[in-house]
Amino acid sequence: MGSGVRWMFLMALLGLGLSACAPEVVRRPTQVMPMADEPGASIEIVENASISVGPGYQRVIDRGSVWTRVGRSVEGDVFKPVDRVFTVEGAHIHEAYLVLDGDRVVGFYLPVERAFSPVPGGTGTRLSIRRRQP
Amino acid sequence: MTIRRWLAVGMVLLLSGCATGAKYEEVKSTIPALAPSEGRIYFYRPSALGAAVQPDIKLNGQKVGTAKPHGFYFVDRAPGNYEVSAATETEKKLTFTLAAGQERFVRLKIQIGLLVGRIVPELVDRTEAEGELKDLSFIAEPLK
Repeated sequence: MGSGVRWMFLMALLGLGLSACAPEVVRRPTQVMPMADEPGASIEIVENASISVGPGYQRVIDRGSVWTRVGRSVEGDVFKPVDRVFTVEGAHIHEAYLVLDGDRVVGFYLPVERAFSPVPGGTGTRLSIRRRQP
Repeated sequence: MTIRRWLAVGMVLLLSGCATGAKYEEVKSTIPALAPSEGRIYFYRPSALGAAVQPDIKLNGQKVGTAKPHGFYFVDRAPGNYEVSAATETEKKLTFTLAAGQERFVRLKIQIGLLVGRIVPELVDRTEAEGELKDLSFIAEPLK
């Protein structure tokens, strides 16, 4: 086996090994308070945005997707996807909602775990959004 | 044995592990209506890759079926939080919520591992799921 082929084989094995050992999604407990003002307010994504959702995992927030505001946590406003699903991924996969500070994604709310997961790296992506009133 | 014969044997072995029977499009209209107080979770595996790997699929720790290639089935459950797991080389779990009257779609994706393949359960949009389901076979009694 040539050294180039051997190197590629080792890298492939390493990649497979790492993908099998992804760390858990970082999260901490949080509480989402329902919004008394502007119930049913939503946002529409104007441009595709790629965001990191876990160690080595990316998701695309699609242009045209609509997210309805379901409440507010101390980290920001919580938006649930309408007619689509969104997940974050690490060792496991979790259904998730977006947590926004203005138009910046600061993290994700995990409804099953009732937890907040900050955007990996700490600097959130700005979304191009259009606000829609009910 | 020639390469062609080996390939034929391989194909037979591959396909013998796949689900057979009525396709989604054929049974769609006969699937019972969902009770208003419950939600429905569909499980499906669109790929025949790694057909020998057919682990049990568990919902909140209870077996609901297996990951049979080219097959699908569904279960009705009370609203709440759910966790899907498939024990293979490593276990990757999926967590999601289920509301009354809601339908959820879980794709069982094969991923090549270090020694054998593993099944990764993924939550999928209805549109994407229905596109993949149409060619799959209904497993009427998934626990057998």
